Amino acid sequence: MFKNYLKMAWRNIRKQKFYSFINILGLTTGMTCCFLIFMYVRFELSYDSFHERKQQIYRLTTDVETPTEKIEAAITSMPMGPALKQDFPEVKEAVRINLSNMLVLVGNNKYQEDEVAVADSNFFHVFTFPLVSGNEHTVLSEPFSVVLSESAARKYFGTANAIGRSIQIGGREHTVKVTGVMKDVPENSQLAFNMVFSLATYKALGETFENWGSFGVVTYLLLESNVDPYKLEQKFPPFLEHHVGMMMKESKMRYTLHLENISDVYLHSKREGSQVLKGSMPNVYIFSFVAVFILLIAIINFVNLATARATERAREVGVRKSVGAYESQLTFQFLSETLMLSLFAFVLSVTCCQLLLPAFNLLTGKEIANNIFQTGTVGIFILMAIAIGLLAGVYPAIVLASYKPVVVLKGAFSSSHKGLLLRRGLVVFQFVITIVLVAGVIIVYNQLLYMQSRDLGFKKDQQLVVEFSGIDPIKDKWKEIKQQVSSIQGVKGCAFSSAIPSKSHSSAYSNMELKSGDMQASNLNLYFVDYDFLQLYDIQLVAGRGFSEAMGTDSTQAMVVNEATVASLGYSKPEEIIGRKYSQWGSEGKVIGVIKDFNYHSLRDKVEPLTMRVAPAGFMPMTITVNPANIKKTLAAVEAIYNRYAPDGRFNYFFVDDSFDKQYRGEYRFGRLVLTFTILAIFLATLGLLGLISFIVIQRTKEIGIRKVLGASVGSILFLLSGDFLKLVLIALLVATPLAWYLMYQWLSDFAYRIDIQWWVFVLAGGIAVILSLATVYVQTIKTALTSPVKSLRTE
Amino acid sequence: MIQLRHISKYYPVGFGKNEILKDIDLRIFEGEFVSIMGPSGSGKSTLLHIMGLLEEPSQGEYLFEGESVHKMNEKKRTQLHRGAIGFVFQAYHLIDELTVYENIETPLLYKNVPSAERKSRVADILDRFNIVAKKDLFPNQLSGGQQQLVGIARALVGQPKVILADEPTGNLHSDQAKEIMELFKQLNEKDKITIVQVTHSEINATYGHRIIQIRDGKIA
Repeated sequence: MFKNYLKMAWRNIRKQKFYSFINILGLTTGMTCCFLIFMYVRFELSYDSFHERKQQIYRLTTDVETPTEKIEAAITSMPMGPALKQDFPEVKEAVRINLSNMLVLVGNNKYQEDEVAVADSNFFHVFTFPLVSGNEHTVLSEPFSVVLSESAARKYFGTANAIGRSIQIGGREHTVKVTGVMKDVPENSQLAFNMVFSLATYKALGETFENWGSFGVVTYLLLESNVDPYKLEQKFPPFLEHHVGMMMKESKMRYTLHLENISDVYLHSKREGSQVLKGSMPNVYIFSFVAVFILLIAIINFVNLATARATERAREVGVRKSVGAYESQLTFQFLSETLMLSLFAFVLSVTCCQLLLPAFNLLTGKEIANNIFQTGTVGIFILMAIAIGLLAGVYPAIVLASYKPVVVLKGAFSSSHKGLLLRRGLVVFQFVITIVLVAGVIIVYNQLLYMQSRDLGFKKDQQLVVEFSGIDPIKDKWKEIKQQVSSIQGVKGCAFSSAIPSKSHSSAYSNMELKSGDMQASNLNLYFVDYDFLQLYDIQLVAGRGFSEAMGTDSTQAMVVNEATVASLGYSKPEEIIGRKYSQWGSEGKVIGVIKDFNYHSLRDKVEPLTMRVAPAGFMPMTITVNPANIKKTLAAVEAIYNRYAPDGRFNYFFVDDSFDKQYRGEYRFGRLVLTFTILAIFLATLGLLGLISFIVIQRTKEIGIRKVLGASVGSILFLLSGDFLKLVLIALLVATPLAWYLMYQWLSDFAYRIDIQWWVFVLAGGIAVILSLATVYVQTIKTALTSPVKSLRTE
Repeated sequence: MIQLRHISKYYPVGFGKNEILKDIDLRIFEGEFVSIMGPSGSGKSTLLHIMGLLEEPSQGEYLFEGESVHKMNEKKRTQLHRGAIGFVFQAYHLIDELTVYENIETPLLYKNVPSAERKSRVADILDRFNIVAKKDLFPNQLSGGQQQLVGIARALVGQPKVILADEPTGNLHSDQAKEIMELFKQLNEKDKITIVQVTHSEINATYGHRIIQIRDGKIA
């Protein structure tokens, strides 16, 4: 019996080539999108799931409250972790990790490493990063020891067996011994690193580990099993009171400690400031929705075509019933046909997925998978394909199987009005999805364009940045270097600083004078700059003056702040802060100027308070305004100067505008993904429309013939057939507009600086839907409309 | 074998009803060959459909081999359908996507006849109707007469007690029609199958033992 069904199904597929093609293409496209997105979502959700003790590992985070603001930081200070371990039996281990970058020297080769971790000796004991060689308890015990990943070891020494070999850091000052080799860190780890240095190395280099107020490390706690983290959190305030009560009172800063399970950090933590990777839960949701929508479009196509074509199968139903088929048997027969189609589409989809994986990895910017058969998801995909087949097939199957044989066999059969209404409803639904996606894409790209073109409050074009790292001591040599760089032809100006807009910067524990004369402690962002920095970047002053070499005290006792700082300290006018006292990192003096807020971070974030001081000891990057004409020559000249001062350093440069744009990589990637899937959704919806219209045209061939005999023009016939669909598009536009507006408003609210949603976006999205449906109607109808009516009427 | 008591059939039209059959009393005995005649729209096809369980009467009682049909559940009715009744249609109603062989086999599939028996029964019928050579052809590769032959073969393969034929020769020219009618006659006489046919043709009607005239929903 089943064989008979399959035979029927196969012959039907072959006989109705056009419909089968549309159905299989539609289902394949839908499934492929769905499978790819499923893998992406699964990957995003899988972060840090490989840690064996993930249920017991918690990230320690700190809220810092000052009288004016509250900072929710993801980082802690050095002594917190060990003190917690000492005071609470619930805390089994505390691991401190610092993620940074480093220049590594191996023999005569230099490697700039951007993913370097420095961690406590229990690191490998707490986390599950398997060691290939070395003892997990001792590899990081000694100062100047490092554990390399297998690929790093191979890169440095040509073999993974690198134990006992050594590398050099800090110029050539320190030799570090390789004490272990670990497996490469999995892609789905929030901690991304190629090597781990022992924290004892920092200690040996003279860093203090005792300052409770200096935040800089990520701390993870391994709790005893069965410890309730919320109960433990309750005990933290007295703990802090005991250790830093006096300090908190004096500085007017209040700390509170919190715990976040390691599984929640990647997608659910809102805390900033640590360098662990962060995902986006909204994106996970958005893509899940997109996947479901695309699949729905494909399923709707199927249902629409199947029910529209039901008349063609109706006679078969009648015959089968008259020779003794149960309704359930017929339902099963039609379902099995759909299942066959969907399994066919499944095989094609898996093949497509496999072929598209490299491109998809590129699109998402992640190595999600290399081989779909190794992900263990193919089994899930088969189940999904079956579910899709059932979902798409069940309604048409029930409708078909319920036909009354007598009605059907008499030939007095026409599709019911109810079916028509359903089909129209489904078409509207498809248009709604399409319009929402199109409007979404337009808005995302508008926002991206806006972020690229918005005036950031400083000059970012033709600003070359060269990292003058490894020059010791920079504070004695910077003037000399500056002079040499300035004299290069093609250099319009240059300035040293400690940080560059778009890049990270330090923040300092500072005391600022309030209007009342009291001193307010807070953590303020800090740029060390030279006298030319403000001018070079064209940053506007709104009050006071900028730094000047002529004023001898500017290098030790002057500070410039931005408008945000002024506001955060409660001053109503920038002029009021001029002359007020500050103390910051051992330097005391007065505020001499206020600069206009400029976006030194992504436009996602509001401009935060920023302070600037002249302190050559902190200089590293040099910004050089270059003439775009002969950049290559200029670069070579700067490199020559750098190499003279830092023979062991590595020449690194970038342009500020590039670096600023790079911050939006995630947004661009998001935009590209949404664009890709939107195009696919449009494609699918059009495909469905094509099938539906071709069917309607066949049904109405006679009507069209009669109308033509009565004198209708080709144009009026096109208008007649498209009118139906235009109405549906308009209804869809009405539904889609508020929906898209709401969704995109949510998305935009993540950006501190954002566009307003314009009405024309929806008109454009609706227009695209109208044009697509008109074009589809036109293509399908024109042939029939042009055919001589004699022909179509004779065949009736 | 078939007994209709006070059978009526009507469809609601607006506020009134359109009566197709009015209070029909009819008895057909085992082994009979009955022809039903009447003008278009007189209700003869509806009568046949009611006998064949494809339609239900609005009123009245239908006994099949002494058993009341409207008291049977869906399953029992389908059993009856499969086991006792064979249908032959004017438009043949073969399934276009199935070969001659498969078309004939279909009723046996629904009856869950085991594969070996299925094969031999279909082969017998093909043999008997002289269409073995055509078994792998599709309906649209056959002439009208050949298609109707397949239609009858399909009705017979389930070994029914009664064959209900709705204008079986309506689409055929006279030579083919004669052939089919001879076949019916043979089935009736040799195989003792009860046959009820609806026809317009006086000649075809005479093949039956009895002619029932229907006019305006009543037996005339």
